[in-house]
Amino acid sequence: MINRFEATQYLAAKLTDELVVASLGNAKYDLFNARDRPRNFYMWNSMGMACSFALGLAMARPGEKVIVLDGDGALLMNLGSLATEAVRGPKNLIHIVWDNRAYELTGKQPTATAYKTDLAKVAEGAGLDQSERVESLPAFQQAFDRALRGDGPWFILALIDQERAKPPRPPKSPTFIKHRFMTDLGVQH
Amino acid sequence: MQWAQTIVGCLKAVNIRFVNYLPDAMGEQILRLARNDPHFDLLPLAREEEGVGVTCGQALGGGRGVLVMPVSGLGNCINALASLAIPYKFPLPMVIAHRGDLGEFNPTQVTMGQSAPEILHALRIPFFELRREDEVQQLTEGALRLTYATEGPVAVLISTQVAGWKE
Repeated sequence: MINRFEATQYLAAKLTDELVVASLGNAKYDLFNARDRPRNFYMWNSMGMACSFALGLAMARPGEKVIVLDGDGALLMNLGSLATEAVRGPKNLIHIVWDNRAYELTGKQPTATAYKTDLAKVAEGAGLDQSERVESLPAFQQAFDRALRGDGPWFILALIDQERAKPPRPPKSPTFIKHRFMTDLGVQH
Repeated sequence: MQWAQTIVGCLKAVNIRFVNYLPDAMGEQILRLARNDPHFDLLPLAREEEGVGVTCGQALGGGRGVLVMPVSGLGNCINALASLAIPYKFPLPMVIAHRGDLGEFNPTQVTMGQSAPEILHALRIPFFELRREDEVQQLTEGALRLTYATEGPVAVLISTQVAGWKE
C-alpha cells in the first residue's frame, strides 16, 4: 500500500515547470504540504471536475506537462471524462488517481473501488492505452518517471492507505489561487 | 443559417478557439461551421458538466473556449458553475440551444427549458435570448464582451424563434 503523502513528496520533488491540478480533499492537502508553488491549482469543490479542468489546461498549454492528482470518489463522479480524455489523447496529460477506496474526509465511507470497481480497467476500457495500477511506492515512482519522460496521456491508479492528510491547509481564496498561477505562467488576464 | 454564421463570427472576433460541446440539432448549425474552419478546435464531451471544467482549465492556461450545449445540459452543469467557474472567476461563454420553449414537442424538455432563466438568474449569471436574426450580432457580441469583463459565466440562449423547432 502506498502512502499518498510520500508519493506526493516524490512527485513534487521532481517538478520543474509542470502544471499541477489537485482535486479537493486529501490530494490537495498533501500537495500543499509536499510543495506549495504557484503552478499548483487547488480545487476546493466541484468534485469530479479536476480531470476535466486538467484536460482543458493541457489543451491550452501544449508546451507544458499537466498533472492531475485525482481521487477515486471524485473520478467516480465523472467517469465519462475518461472517454473524453482518451479520444482527445493529450500527450502532455498525466492523470494520477489516489485510490483509498473511501470518502476519507467525510467518515471513511467506502466507494465502489472498495468492492468491485477497478478504475485502471475503466480507464483502459475508455481508451486510455497507457493505463496502469500501482500498489507500492517503487512501482509508483517508476510509473511516474516514465510518464514525465514520455508522451501521454498517462493514467496511473495508485492504491493508497487511508491516512488523512496532515494540516496546515492550502490557501482557500479561489481568486488568489487563480491569479498566482496565471501570473507565474505569464498569462495576460 | 445566418444566425449560426453570425455567432461563429462573434466567437472568432474575440479569439475563442476551443469549442467544447454536447451536440444537439440547433448547436449543430454552429458546430458544422466551426468544424470546417481551421481556426477552431472542437472537443466533444460525454456530459455537459465536463465542459465547465474544461473551459475553466482552458481559461487558466490563457486560452479561450466556449461551451455549446442544449438547455438540458445547463441542468447538468449547476454545481460546476457555482463552485468552480463563479468563485474562481473564470470567463465562461455558454451558447445554449433553448429547447423546452416555443414549439417544443417533447414534454420532458419543458421543465428545464422554462426554468433555465430562473436558474441562471438564481446563479446571477447574465443571459441573453436570441429571438430575432437582426439581434444575434449585438447580443452575442455584447455577451462575449461581458463574460471577459465579469470573469464569469455568461449565456446566450438561442430561441426557436430564430433557429426553428423540431417537427
